[in-house]
Amino acid sequence: MKGIILAGGRGTRLRPITHTGPKQLVPVANKPVLEYAIEDLKDAGITEIGVVLGNLGREAIQQHLGDCSEYGVEITYIIQGNPLGLAHAAGCAREFVGDDDFVMYLGDNILDNGVVELVESFEAGDYAAGIALQRVANPEQFGVADVDENGNVLKLVEKPDDPPSNLALIGMYVFSPAIFDAIETLEPSWRGELEITDAIQSLLQDGHAIDSHVVEGWWKDTGKPEDILEANRLVLETIDDTRNGTIETNAEISGTIDLAESATIESGAVVRGPVSIAEGTTIKSDTYVGPFTSIGKDCEVEHTHIENSVIIGESEVSASGKIVDSLIGRNAQVKSAEGLLPEGRRLVVGENSNLKL
Amino acid sequence: MRIITHTCPDCGTVVAANELEKNRVMKCPRLDCNTVLRFEDLPDSEREHFLEHRDQYQI
Repeated sequence: MKGIILAGGRGTRLRPITHTGPKQLVPVANKPVLEYAIEDLKDAGITEIGVVLGNLGREAIQQHLGDCSEYGVEITYIIQGNPLGLAHAAGCAREFVGDDDFVMYLGDNILDNGVVELVESFEAGDYAAGIALQRVANPEQFGVADVDENGNVLKLVEKPDDPPSNLALIGMYVFSPAIFDAIETLEPSWRGELEITDAIQSLLQDGHAIDSHVVEGWWKDTGKPEDILEANRLVLETIDDTRNGTIETNAEISGTIDLAESATIESGAVVRGPVSIAEGTTIKSDTYVGPFTSIGKDCEVEHTHIENSVIIGESEVSASGKIVDSLIGRNAQVKSAEGLLPEGRRLVVGENSNLKL
Repeated sequence: MRIITHTCPDCGTVVAANELEKNRVMKCPRLDCNTVLRFEDLPDSEREHFLEHRDQYQI
């Protein structure tokens, strides 16, 4: 079994964060989203992984992953170039995959329970493909599977007015090499892409059996800022308390804290977990860091109340107000305007920014 | 739709034909590989197919 991780896309819904880097490297609980995919594949026993790259962010992703030896897996890069759809991305991996089965994992998704059960379910039968499904309240907004009592897929329908079930496709798949011949028969859809659901539908029409696996834990597509915050909250709920850094006397700490070795919580600061604080970051006195906050490397946070937020890294935050539900990009400075004349907020805001003042 | 790729002989990086055709001659996209890849490295039949159906490979 091999794995391919799709790490293309433009990340338009995450702008301005994605103006300067790919969405797959946005951190959740201080770890880039893409690393969760690699860990999940490795947990499923998959150590040969193809990373499919698009037109944007390909150098940044390669710089971050390198040859991936530190993860204990072997990486092959697959350059898709133009975003011609998930089925095109899979098709580009044909030579890499060879005669093996493979898991296809969307690189901006996070799953609570990984892909082990999906793979086991697929391997338990003679299937051409296996799809991960999740029960949703609004199936008419998703690709939906109709399945029989044994979990065999009967048909797939895209955003149906009258859904045959509440089981939505969540973008995790296992394929046999039969998928490549199915992809070859496809024509681009109305949006100019080769659709993976069309390829699976083609397998069904040719009489292949398709397995389904209903994912019971949470699943997040981290395509939007609010999704990053939600994923951050979900992951922080599961972290271990690892207070490796410096906690000065008279700092008030409670809850689960993931504190990196070179991070410091100064005297007079209040930190209530779950919180993750990365290397080189200092939480200064007179600062409150509340639950579900991740603060990346080399930040300084001072005189601030911050909670349910993500600071990606290398930033200074010293505004005197409360910062909540926020995603702050790398190298940002959020400071107080107190004492400055004329009174008022001073903003240097990039394209596609979103502020609520 | 036929998906055409070329694999770098030195590092194994796979490059889709649309990327090769766009650049014609390019350094392998893998950061630590300096191999030169060319659209002409593809077999004649694949080059012809790509050029005859070029619209399908654009977005």
